[in-house]
Amino acid sequence: MLERSGVQLLLGPVLALACGLGALMLRHWPGIDSTVLALLAAVVVFMLGTEIFLSHRFRRTVKFFPIAVFLSCIGLLMTARLVPALFKMQLCWVLVGIVVFTSVVMARKKVLALLDYQYSLGALCLILLILPLLFGTEIGGSRNWIALGSITIQPSEFGKIVLILFLAAYLADHRQVLTENLRRFFLFETAPLRFIAPLLLIWGMAMLMFVIARDLGSALLFFGIAVFMTYMATGSKSYVAAAMLFFTAASAVSYMLFSHVRVRVAIWLHPWQDPSGMAYQVVQSLFAIGTGGIWGVGYAHGNPDIIPAVHTDFVFSAIAEELGFLGMTAVLLGYLFLFYYAIQTALLQTRLVYTLIAAGCGTAFILQAFIIAAGVTKFLPLTGITLPFISYGGSSMIASFLMLALLTILEKEGNERVG
Amino acid sequence: MSGKPSDSIRKNILQAAWLLIGLVVCLFCYILYIECAEGQELTHHPLNSRGLREVSGVARGKILDSDGRVLAETDESGIRRYPYGAAAAPVTGYVGIEIGSAGVEHYSAMALSGRASADSHIGPVAQLFSDAEGCNVKLTVDAELQQAAYDALGDRKGAVVVLNAETGAVLAMASTPSFDPESAAENWEDISNREDSVLLNRALHGLYPPGSTIKPLVAAFALKGGNVNQKEIFDCSGVLDVGGGYTIAESHGEVHGKVTLREAITESCNVAFGTIASRMGKSGLESMFSAVSFNRALSGELDSPIAQLPDYSALSKGEIAQIGIGQSTLLVTPLAMAMLAEGFANNGKIMKPYIVDEVISSRGIVTSRAVPAAWSGSIPKTEAQIIDGYMEEVVREGTGTAAYVNGVRVTGKTGTAENSSGNDHAWFIGTAQVQGKKIAFAVLIENGGGGGIEAAPIARNLILQMM
Repeated sequence: MLERSGVQLLLGPVLALACGLGALMLRHWPGIDSTVLALLAAVVVFMLGTEIFLSHRFRRTVKFFPIAVFLSCIGLLMTARLVPALFKMQLCWVLVGIVVFTSVVMARKKVLALLDYQYSLGALCLILLILPLLFGTEIGGSRNWIALGSITIQPSEFGKIVLILFLAAYLADHRQVLTENLRRFFLFETAPLRFIAPLLLIWGMAMLMFVIARDLGSALLFFGIAVFMTYMATGSKSYVAAAMLFFTAASAVSYMLFSHVRVRVAIWLHPWQDPSGMAYQVVQSLFAIGTGGIWGVGYAHGNPDIIPAVHTDFVFSAIAEELGFLGMTAVLLGYLFLFYYAIQTALLQTRLVYTLIAAGCGTAFILQAFIIAAGVTKFLPLTGITLPFISYGGSSMIASFLMLALLTILEKEGNERVG
Repeated sequence: MSGKPSDSIRKNILQAAWLLIGLVVCLFCYILYIECAEGQELTHHPLNSRGLREVSGVARGKILDSDGRVLAETDESGIRRYPYGAAAAPVTGYVGIEIGSAGVEHYSAMALSGRASADSHIGPVAQLFSDAEGCNVKLTVDAELQQAAYDALGDRKGAVVVLNAETGAVLAMASTPSFDPESAAENWEDISNREDSVLLNRALHGLYPPGSTIKPLVAAFALKGGNVNQKEIFDCSGVLDVGGGYTIAESHGEVHGKVTLREAITESCNVAFGTIASRMGKSGLESMFSAVSFNRALSGELDSPIAQLPDYSALSKGEIAQIGIGQSTLLVTPLAMAMLAEGFANNGKIMKPYIVDEVISSRGIVTSRAVPAAWSGSIPKTEAQIIDGYMEEVVREGTGTAAYVNGVRVTGKTGTAENSSGNDHAWFIGTAQVQGKKIAFAVLIENGGGGGIEAAPIARNLILQMM
């Protein structure tokens, strides 16, 4: 049973977690909360148990889960080190994430059946995106949160998944009308408006998020996912070009209309003009990356806590400072592997809709990691968004495990067809 | 519901996948670039407060002079003490959570706070060697000489730089007016806004017209370039017409008569050097300044712009002649002039200046030691030797006799630089062979008057101090 499981893949991350946390605990000895230890033990048992159980049940190694374990172990290590007070919560979120993951994977037939309700999915996606605009609470400058009592949820994290499911179903169904009988419309060849209306709606929603909710990161992510999935399904460069034009125009308009957009761009272009004011976060993040160098200054030996919001959006900079370029590379490779397996899984599918879901989930992971990593390194203007599995936060963690579950289901599905 | 994915869809997916992977690879290369090209700068950036943040329980290390005398230490009550106070402030700098840090306190912050240096390139392994006490940082500075330089400047504004001519080690770096680093945080409001800029380290950051102290350099490169030879005789009538209605005059209305290059230096003849610079032209001057790397700034432990060079393309004929006598738009730092002086005494070789000699752990282990390195620019060897001889005569019988010390070989060049801020700046640069050690120095007194009268005696004081 053990030979077939990928449990040996989990040993590295779990050992690293144990060593790192052990070192931290020795420092704070003996003032350690025993419930944290119990939770930690539960998380480790669930990690190993899930992999063994799934591998046994699917009769083959489950590839995606070990990568998520690796990334969440890094996330747990960084949270414990950056904001010890939130470590317990993060353990809970990982635990919930794994439970959700396992449940969804077990209920895979029902999950796949959901795809028959594509328009309901589309509507749900819109609702999830509109909710924060109507009832949202502003946290950290972005109005993309919903507060339910003491719990705050970021609906856009879940909206992302619904978007992938909806787009996959819609594009698979309407591939023919979207690629044949095209009409010329200025320079672009497009299908009649009624067929591309849902796509336009999604683009427009992304822009609304951008403008009203100030959630630039999610907007970019949604838009990116939509464009990539549309291209994958249709291969039409016209749609991509139209999307780019739309994006450029919308960006230009919001640049002219909204000061917060101008501020973001100004910070990106000239961070050293106001390094202690508006550009403080990015400049501090660059200091962290520069100080870390190739090897990093060592776990828990740096000062990444100078950076505001370091445990959520800027966790990548903290990794760069303490674990160095090597640690950062390992994390980026983690996402690249996730993406690689997702594309591999996509190509194995016998149904177009499954192909698109797998490719969409892979795109979402890599694009999200890219957007935030590029933002904190000043490669692109900064747009606040979480680093999947690593950033602190429940919505992000659970949503990431949900996407992972979709990929795992499809991996199983694809391998069954191939035999 | 939907059909099978066709080959074209597989192709589209792979194309999109490669694009995404390409994006990540670009980001990856960009991060690698930041780490390699900007890592040092970011680590030591003045706003990077990492070195300031005390690790709990770590006592900040001492800053010591070359003989082990304490320049800065933290006492039992946690107060940072500076025994040499304002005299050594341009060297030690200051440190405070609210006010940030400067000088060695800033540059060596990591070592002083016991953290492994980011420069060690051994990464987390360095944490194994980190200690409950910070490292001590031993400088190349001689505290007595530093104090003497500060005292010699007195209440005049100015700067003194003394280098070990063979290694580039900074032996003294004084700048006045100065401030007491111990009370810097309390008096921050005052000292950071003072009109006489006490926080400005004039030795490194003060930019002044070099006046006649630039002449040895011009002479060396004019000789090398064949614009002049040692035998040529200039006829100094006291005034040189440089065209466009502009003239260059000798100071105090002197007339030197017939002079060779040697006499043009010892008597500091403006007419001769105006003529020579005109012959060298824009390109000659440009290649001269790049040959000594005055177009490069110094960063790291001693950060200095070195010089502010003229915009060559915009130079008029008159301005070209003016640059030959160290005026016009050419500005230099005292450090840069000390480096030039060093070149003449060192067969043309200029060393990269440095100030941190050793980092010593609390257990007494030297964890890093400075290795002298050549500066990227130099002066041609033969010409440097010739000019070195001329500069010796400046002190023996020329404008710099005030720096003469019996029994010591002293070379020098005076400068009296006109400027827009008032009275002339007094300069004296040179070298001396003291106690078997070759030193190079630059003395500058802002609006001090004549270099030979005001600045040269300070150099003499310092040489006597070292004996």
